[in-house]
Amino acid sequence: MTIATAIIKGTPVFGRMFSVDKSTGLEEINAWPALMIMASFIWLAVAGLLGLVMPATQMFDLDSGHFYTTLTLHGAALAFPFSFQLMVGVGLHRSGGCVGKPITGWLPAMCFITMNLGAALLTVAVLMGFKVSLIVMFPLPLVGAQMGIWSMNTVILGFTGIYLVLACMILLYPLLGLSMLFFGKKRQDLVLSERSLNDPGMLGMTLSALTLLIAGLPLVVVGTTLLLALYGVIPMSMAAWAAEPVVFQYVFFIFAHNLMEAMALMVSSAMYATLPLYLADGTRKLFSDKLANTALWILLLTSVTSFLHHFITSYPAQPAALSYWGNIMSWGTGIGAAISIFTVLATIWQHGLRAEPGIIAVLLGWALYILDGASAMVTSNVAWAYVLHGTMWQSGHTMTVILAMSLMWMGVLYHHYPVITGRKLDPALGTWFVRLFTVGGFGAAIAMLAGGAAGMPRRFADWNQEGWMVYGHMIMIFGVILGASFVVYAYNLLQSRDLNEALGQRVGAT
Amino acid sequence: MLDFLFSGWGAFWVTMAMLLPFAGMFWYVIHRKSVVDSGPGTTPPAAMSRLEGYWLTAVFVIFVTINLASLRFMPIMATAHAATGGVPVQEVELAATSWKYEMSTREVEAGKPVRFSGRAMDTQHGFAVYHPDGRMLFTMLMMPGVSKATSVVRTFTEPGTYKIRCLEYCGIAHHGMKDELTVVKSKAAT
Repeated sequence: MTIATAIIKGTPVFGRMFSVDKSTGLEEINAWPALMIMASFIWLAVAGLLGLVMPATQMFDLDSGHFYTTLTLHGAALAFPFSFQLMVGVGLHRSGGCVGKPITGWLPAMCFITMNLGAALLTVAVLMGFKVSLIVMFPLPLVGAQMGIWSMNTVILGFTGIYLVLACMILLYPLLGLSMLFFGKKRQDLVLSERSLNDPGMLGMTLSALTLLIAGLPLVVVGTTLLLALYGVIPMSMAAWAAEPVVFQYVFFIFAHNLMEAMALMVSSAMYATLPLYLADGTRKLFSDKLANTALWILLLTSVTSFLHHFITSYPAQPAALSYWGNIMSWGTGIGAAISIFTVLATIWQHGLRAEPGIIAVLLGWALYILDGASAMVTSNVAWAYVLHGTMWQSGHTMTVILAMSLMWMGVLYHHYPVITGRKLDPALGTWFVRLFTVGGFGAAIAMLAGGAAGMPRRFADWNQEGWMVYGHMIMIFGVILGASFVVYAYNLLQSRDLNEALGQRVGAT
Repeated sequence: MLDFLFSGWGAFWVTMAMLLPFAGMFWYVIHRKSVVDSGPGTTPPAAMSRLEGYWLTAVFVIFVTINLASLRFMPIMATAHAATGGVPVQEVELAATSWKYEMSTREVEAGKPVRFSGRAMDTQHGFAVYHPDGRMLFTMLMMPGVSKATSVVRTFTEPGTYKIRCLEYCGIAHHGMKDELTVVKSKAAT
């Protein structure tokens, strides 16, 4: 038994959901992924509860400090240790099965430790008063310490946590993914569904790992410099360049924007791999691999520099030419999405679909991602950026992209769950999960976009003016529905039945 | 019509206009091919290729049209016109610090362009101006340490009291960072 399997076994409640099936001989591609997926669901429980607290603090007029605490914790927990870690877990299991390589050794262990230890340290720092939002808002951490709102020790703790999380996302996970793809010996006994780099189901995973590594390296350099200065290893004067707000903000958004795009590439790839398995005529082929790959390449090439749209409203600090470039590239991602829409719908049209909960979750998550993409393109237009930037529109966009990818990964997990655990999920509960998530996800997204259209500010502890509270109520209602969908999904995992038992009952019934 | 389109609610309805046809097509294809008839499609490859061409052309044309139409509404254009138009520009210089604004003036005239030039003195701040009816007119992002002040040129057409809010999260009293701007009738008109 590996350490990962032992940790899962020793974890109450969640351990029961993800206990690894050792009878298949696939523990080497299942154990670490299962542990990461389990940890991601623990963070989801934390993030979900905090997400409901946010509108509740506004409705019941609680202390604004509670709102900003939950704002920071909810965003950070949802984006990184839940969504990203879920992607890493399911993605690594897929990679292992595609290339026949074990996920063992120090690299997956370090991925797990850095992500969860980092997120835990950040959580402690936030509970100690460090309220900086999901995107750090540099130089707010240092200004807050100077103003005495939180202590410098809290900044150091929070930065250490953020640094560990980033180390997992920028260095360890991409290196693990790439080393599995290009190095090591293939073991036939671990191959579940062999794929090459020409396959859209594999190409997106490779592009995603490279994007994270390349787009994230400048932030690693800046973050390392700052951290060394905070720990007193180098004098603060040597880190002055890294502490420049413009330097930090640009390297942060080169990474943060492309993190979301990398996750989109990864999940699109997983969708291209999963959809053919559910085609009614059994052809197991996309309408066109070439079109699917073209969509991935367009998404990659256009998204890399579209991060410039984050700074449109800082003109002339950001020159107009760069803002126009960010505008055009952002709409260019829409061309990739249009090709993707055609490929997916043409595939279903030509081959029919076995509408099982897993693939429907993937497709509805993808539809939510299309809504998010449309909202992102609109707010990246220079004219619209000036009436939407800083409003709830942006929060809606961020939340929707994370929810969309989470729904898609939960659908992909639904597909892979029997291979990992040897147990089967209940399709009726799966269908209820999909229904609730769809209503909650689309409803919350549209409510937040409407709030942004009405000028409702994001990250703002005073919704009760200008009639904005109506959007707050809608966000709360749809948030509760989303929460219910997660409860149904978790219940389904908890009461999953052994494959042999499920098969035996079905044979008995017939 | 275009004035509405490039407002906050215009953005919302354009997004819905992109979503709703997609959602309808998505539901139709999945329902038809998983519930009504999941058998192989009979559409010939040539017809699918034509459809692909029409779809991508339509998307491209819509995207280009929207972005070309938006050019007139980009504040950067107003700034360029103000610089070359020969009309005297009212200057409002502001410094944003946690959690207040220092402004060179809080009163401007309607009908004349106003240039807002803002700097953040400690951490990032925003400067969003809201119409008296609650609509957001524009926002600016100000980053500390940059050499050029963030700048927007805007011509107000209606007198009234306009609210100002910070839209960049700047700490525990961020929501309390607000101010007001009074737009009075043009002195030339009176």
